[in-house]
Amino acid sequence: MQTFSIRPFEPPVDAAALRAEVRAFLAAHQPKGDATSRSNSWAVADKAFTRALAKAGYVGMVWPKRYGGGERHPLERYIVLEELLAAGAPVGMHWIADRQGGPLLLRYGSEAQRQDLLPRMAAGELYTCIGMSEPGSGSDLASVRTRGERTPDGWRINGQKVWTTNAHNAHYMIALVRTGAGSQRQEGLTQFLIDMKAPGVTVRPIIDLVCGHDFNEVFLEDVLVPDSLRVGEEGAGWKQVTAELSLERSGPERYLSSYALLIEFIRVVGTKPDPAATALIGQLTAELWTLRQMSRSTAAKLAADEDPALEAAIVKDLGNSFEQALPRLVQAMNDFDLSADTDFARALAFLLQVSPSFSLRGGTREILRGIIARGLGLR
Amino acid sequence: MSESRSLLLETAERLFAGLSDTAPFTSSWREVATAGLPSLLVAENRDGFGGDWGDAFAVLRCAGSHAAPLPVGEAIVAARLAADAGLELDAGLATIASRAAGEVDAKGRFAGHIASVPWGREPAQVVFDLGEQIVCAKTADARSIERRSSPAGEARDTLIFEGAAVQCAERRMSVLEAGAFVRGAQIAGALDATLALSIQHANQRIQFGKPIGTFQAVQQSLAVFTEEAAAVNCAGQAAAEATDRGDAGFEIAAAKLRANMAAAVGVATAHQVHGAIGFTQEHTLHRFTRRLITWRSEFGSERFWAEQIGRGVCGRGADALWPFLTARGDTGLRGRSK
Repeated sequence: MQTFSIRPFEPPVDAAALRAEVRAFLAAHQPKGDATSRSNSWAVADKAFTRALAKAGYVGMVWPKRYGGGERHPLERYIVLEELLAAGAPVGMHWIADRQGGPLLLRYGSEAQRQDLLPRMAAGELYTCIGMSEPGSGSDLASVRTRGERTPDGWRINGQKVWTTNAHNAHYMIALVRTGAGSQRQEGLTQFLIDMKAPGVTVRPIIDLVCGHDFNEVFLEDVLVPDSLRVGEEGAGWKQVTAELSLERSGPERYLSSYALLIEFIRVVGTKPDPAATALIGQLTAELWTLRQMSRSTAAKLAADEDPALEAAIVKDLGNSFEQALPRLVQAMNDFDLSADTDFARALAFLLQVSPSFSLRGGTREILRGIIARGLGLR
Repeated sequence: MSESRSLLLETAERLFAGLSDTAPFTSSWREVATAGLPSLLVAENRDGFGGDWGDAFAVLRCAGSHAAPLPVGEAIVAARLAADAGLELDAGLATIASRAAGEVDAKGRFAGHIASVPWGREPAQVVFDLGEQIVCAKTADARSIERRSSPAGEARDTLIFEGAAVQCAERRMSVLEAGAFVRGAQIAGALDATLALSIQHANQRIQFGKPIGTFQAVQQSLAVFTEEAAAVNCAGQAAAEATDRGDAGFEIAAAKLRANMAAAVGVATAHQVHGAIGFTQEHTLHRFTRRLITWRSEFGSERFWAEQIGRGVCGRGADALWPFLTARGDTGLRGRSK
């Protein structure tokens, strides 16, 4: 038994040249922003930045050209993502469309859906949100109760979604809806594209503990959805939802969330810090390097059309634990004033408060460890 | 995996699986030497096997996964470091040591002591760092040898020299780094083997009417163990690839540090899952966990490597970290053009 075998990360381009290109783009277009914004990279929605990124060809990079994509290699996209995240660029506006929405349509969407939506997504003009969680369905996703009933020309949808990131900016929600009974809970689920402007859709903000507006609750009252906006087969929703999870569990966003703080910490302690700070920085760097190797290896497996579901769960949980521990380890190093007017103090205070969410979003720690245990053959 | 590496691994697997902890050292070692493993990293034109560091990682990981009670890794890197530095080794056993103090005089005679020499009691050559030099001494030339053993019961002897003739040269890779690479690979293998034992036990041991592996508390701790083992295996392979590309001081340091962190978690979790049976001499678990405990303290602790990496990172400055990490990893095109 070998728990992790490496697959070389070999993009078909000169990686260093691509990085230089992205860094030059960032130098020209990244908004100044403070350390709080840089610490919140993929949750900061910035329409102008997203459009500039799209213009440079960094949105929908791997999608076919006929749908407005760039037909670049998935590992090129990986390089661009890690550059954007390491710089703390505000990529939240298009993040979900680029990571989940577009790939879902390419895999399961109809030709009409692809032609209609993908070019606008790739242009950085059309955004999506994901309607999975409900008040009664968090980790237990198969318990969704939002119902879709057949009408003569489509579906009538009733229910409520919650913790819906970016719903207030999104044009479409990709919603998981119960459309049939089925003997198993996982059966009878179907995915739909719901037009956020359709009558009966109400979005209410949920303000998070640091007063940020990232997620929302979305009420669906007799929302009429044409059958042409059903994604994939009726009843295949569970399979479609779980198939994409490897894509979003092993990316660089799963271990770089506190990177901005590590940088500010190194800046604050200077070139010759005391031995304890030196050791902490060394340890964090070693862990970061290791996670990066794991994430890149998993990306290479995904690019080769393998399904590294177990590796992806490992990368996410280990990465989340790292980015979550980083702020509290830094905090313990000294008597830092969390109210100080410095980039370091802002990043530290912000990440101490939001880092508990890192092991909640995208699958909780406990769920991931359960998936790993099942992968180990523990019954 | 290349065909030659698969063949090599098959040989190593067969060899290590057949070793016994109680067999006399000389007979076990003869098998390893006959298989040609000690010359794994020596070039073919010097009568070596001509393997790369990736091969070495695979073989040493395999040795670790069988808790092989032999200085295979020590011999492999001793031969390579000696060859790189132009030191002549004879055909016998060669080992390495990192705890040396003393000096070599103008006539090339070494006075000092070397502690914790793996199998230092055997007729062997010891390769060690002394300042920026790499030195090779013969155990037979030691004035005295104090027999000690590691927590795992392996020979870790103290050798005292008073003016013994040694070979001395400028080094390329330090013995400390090479040893860290070896122990990192062994830890990767031993952790995977220990994890496999733990999973097997969790599936077989019945309490409260069902296998303990069905309890979430046990599943969650084994999942964490898996993540740690995965990290070490990935880091070790990545360090091997980096070493094959050239200077890999950073990667080896990071991989050993990560391996040390994981070893601590793995030992604790494996024993917790096994319960009392894992605490017996009879059960095989201790062959792995006692070695993991030992290896964590050899060729650099967490703190040692953390400070070394940290000094580099801080010295280069905050904004240099990302360019540093990416430049060292971007080998796609170069890697393939070989």
